[in-house]
Amino acid sequence: MEKFQLKMKVNGRTVTVAVEPGLRLLDVLRDVLHLTGTKEGCGEGECGACSVILDGELVDSCLVLAPQAHGKEVVTIEGISREGELDALQRAFLTAGAVQCGYCTPGMILAAKALLSRNPNPGRQEIARGISGNLCRCTGYAKIVKAVELAAAELQQKEGAAGV
Amino acid sequence: MSETCVVGKSAPRVDGPAKVSGKSQYGADIDIPGALFLKVLRSKTPHGMVKRIDVAEALKIPGVVRVFTHADVPGENSYGIIVKDQPALTDQVRFRGDALALVAAETEEAAKQALEVIKVEIEELPPLYDVWSAMAEKAQAIHAKGNILTVSRVKKGDAAAALRTAAVVVSRRYTTQRVEHSYIETEAGVAYMDNGILVIKAGTQNPHYDRRDVSRVLGLPMHKVRIIQAATGGGFGGKLDISVQCFLGLAALKLGRPVRMVYDRRESIAATGKRHPFLVEYTSAADREGKLLAVKAKIIGDTGAYASYGPATLNRAAVHATGPYEVPNVDIEALCVYTNNPFSGAMRGFGTPQMAFAAESQMDLLAQELELTPLEIRRRNVLRPGSLTATGQRLDHSVGISATLEAAWEKAGRVMPGLGGEVK
Amino acid sequence: MLNLSAYHQPKSLPEALALLGSSGRALRPLAGGTDLVPALTKGETEPLGLVDLSRIPELRGISRVDNQIRIGSLSTFGEIENSPLLLAVPLLREAAAAVGSPQIRSQGTIGGNIANASPAADTVTALAALDAVARLESAAGSRSVQVSELLCGVGQTKLLPGEVIKEILFQVPPQGSRSGFVKLGRRKALAIARMNLALVITFEAGRISRARVALGAVGPNPSRRPALELVLLGQEPSRTLIDEFAMAASKEVGQMLGTRPSVSYKREAVKGIARDLLQRLFFGAGQVVG
Ligand code: FES
Ligand code: FES
Repeated sequence: MEKFQLKMKVNGRTVTVAVEPGLRLLDVLRDVLHLTGTKEGCGEGECGACSVILDGELVDSCLVLAPQAHGKEVVTIEGISREGELDALQRAFLTAGAVQCGYCTPGMILAAKALLSRNPNPGRQEIARGISGNLCRCTGYAKIVKAVELAAAELQQKEGAAGV
Repeated sequence: MSETCVVGKSAPRVDGPAKVSGKSQYGADIDIPGALFLKVLRSKTPHGMVKRIDVAEALKIPGVVRVFTHADVPGENSYGIIVKDQPALTDQVRFRGDALALVAAETEEAAKQALEVIKVEIEELPPLYDVWSAMAEKAQAIHAKGNILTVSRVKKGDAAAALRTAAVVVSRRYTTQRVEHSYIETEAGVAYMDNGILVIKAGTQNPHYDRRDVSRVLGLPMHKVRIIQAATGGGFGGKLDISVQCFLGLAALKLGRPVRMVYDRRESIAATGKRHPFLVEYTSAADREGKLLAVKAKIIGDTGAYASYGPATLNRAAVHATGPYEVPNVDIEALCVYTNNPFSGAMRGFGTPQMAFAAESQMDLLAQELELTPLEIRRRNVLRPGSLTATGQRLDHSVGISATLEAAWEKAGRVMPGLGGEVK
Repeated sequence: MLNLSAYHQPKSLPEALALLGSSGRALRPLAGGTDLVPALTKGETEPLGLVDLSRIPELRGISRVDNQIRIGSLSTFGEIENSPLLLAVPLLREAAAAVGSPQIRSQGTIGGNIANASPAADTVTALAALDAVARLESAAGSRSVQVSELLCGVGQTKLLPGEVIKEILFQVPPQGSRSGFVKLGRRKALAIARMNLALVITFEAGRISRARVALGAVGPNPSRRPALELVLLGQEPSRTLIDEFAMAASKEVGQMLGTRPSVSYKREAVKGIARDLLQRLFFGAGQVVG
């Protein structure tokens, strides 16, 4: 059938591609745009490995058809760090030892990012809820929660400093 | 001089920055232009003999390049870590999920369509889903040598005599379930020919064993096969076995083109190893003071269609059957049994978690009989420096269990005040 | 990849209705897609053409006029959970918050939750307790149906071909009402409800003057349970009443499930969720709406 002219902003850059409308956003990111930082773990919304931020909202890109993202703005793990500098969350994940096999990590970081953008100072329960759509089979979550706390604290401190 | 001592310090992970920025390349992330997609046709029948595989219709689908079956396997069509009993592509189905045919196509869609139209004729055999039917006298043999693959025994002292005279004897039967590893990354990889050398990049925990089995199945000398471990998204033992490696190797070798393959979650669950379900008949005996006198246990592990790490798992189960306790008289028998279930292999702990469930439950029951606390009966029996294990090994250096037990108890008291009302 | 026969992204409701109306059943409306997309990927649903409703402004938004609340069918669970306009109906916010995961809540919609007709649909249980009405639109015209009437079995609705759910309407419960929702799942996130319960209780002079009780995942679709409402009606809140209600709920679940294998579990479990929720509504902090 006819291809869909998909135009969206990905990590700040506008992309226009003709795609089969049956492709998922995940497939477009990985196979068409070669942004393979976004992972597929289950393909049905259970694991969150495919999480991206779509117009400010955390979504599972395996549940989004490509045309549903038309005209929207997508942020993937590749868009988190600026000019090769790791973002506070990325650094915190390293410091806290929240990365083992690393396969859940991109989705986890995006979930945390979405949480912090809405709630810059979340409590443990709020963090747990914020990452509840993301499965990690390796770490056992305690270190991931710790990492989010660390990043939140760092960002808060910066805010504070900037405010002085 | 650079810092060489990292013991006791937190060293940054070398692969950390790549992982947090999404740059690590896992099996499914490797971009090989022009690679063919591979898909496996898996059996829906659990047990039977393959009579005919008709691929004519599949080959007519535009984009389908080739369909392989068992007849196309150039080397020995069997692999396995311990026992070479698992065919890459089979002519005898032993579980629902056995690989019957491998499709190589220009697109994933074409490969999927091809799976739909391959016709397979199977002469079905009655499936054996539990260890009892598999061990029955007249049971159909799933593999040529019969359904009891291995028997491991651990014997020390005279368990029978000790059981006759002990103050308390507790006997129970325990069953544990099959467990899927559910590593978050499904099996995936690529393969290509590089100057006459077959290169396979895939998520794996076992590149050296992979190399041995791939070279065996493809009839290639070892130096013509190279396995490169891609970043691996969890394994927990499950990625010790061959998954995509032989398929990738066969297609790349035969077609001379790069190939790629990714299991979806369903295929990953259907086709790969599991934790062994155990059936344990466990008898323990103790004297009035709660000192263990004897353990007698029969362990049956369901290794499913293929051995994988089964013999080692059951061996380990036998060795660890008495838990971290000193038992003077021991009589353990552990059987590794084939069935038509998904195959069981290595998974975190290798048979010991199953045995811990049984052994620790027994300790609690003995404590109850003797009106001791669960803590006290353990204190009286844990292995110490100088103890003899079930296999007769003298532990003459450090043994940590006693200190661990006390520390755990102390911590439990702190986080759960008033725990069980137990007096220290 | 799914093989779709067509994909439309209409910008207005009339355009969408015209497309759907002329297609027979060849086109399916697509809301958030959190159920439909995986079903299509796994081949559980015949791939047809899709009409993506996400660009239709008429289907969006939450508003309140006097005591009537209107929720556009494409409102996401996240929007419902966080809408200040819905502070008056905690049960619906709590139901929306109980759905799936943050990811599912930012994409899944209330209209999709209804049309999908799952026995365990969380927001539908709350809507049943609110006596909510769905406004349906098609090229032929519009009609209004009670949400609970619209559903007629697992995965079955009385939606006609070419008809879409435009919006959901309900009255804010009267002054002095308290409401809540509770879900029992195998885990906190991403669990399909094993059972859910929604309650609206109105107090007048210390007694319960009005009660709405709805149960989900004990029948083909969530529904109001008048027998349980009667247990509460006219009573004063007390521990005894909580116990009576829990026993009655257990009996009701037993009758509804008959000889289903889940009956022995759910008959017990409902007592727990019933106690938790009533306890909270009777003696919990705050929450009276006026
Ligand atoms: S791959 Fe999308 S949620 Fe698992
Ligand atoms: S680090 Fe392996 S799944 Fe999270």
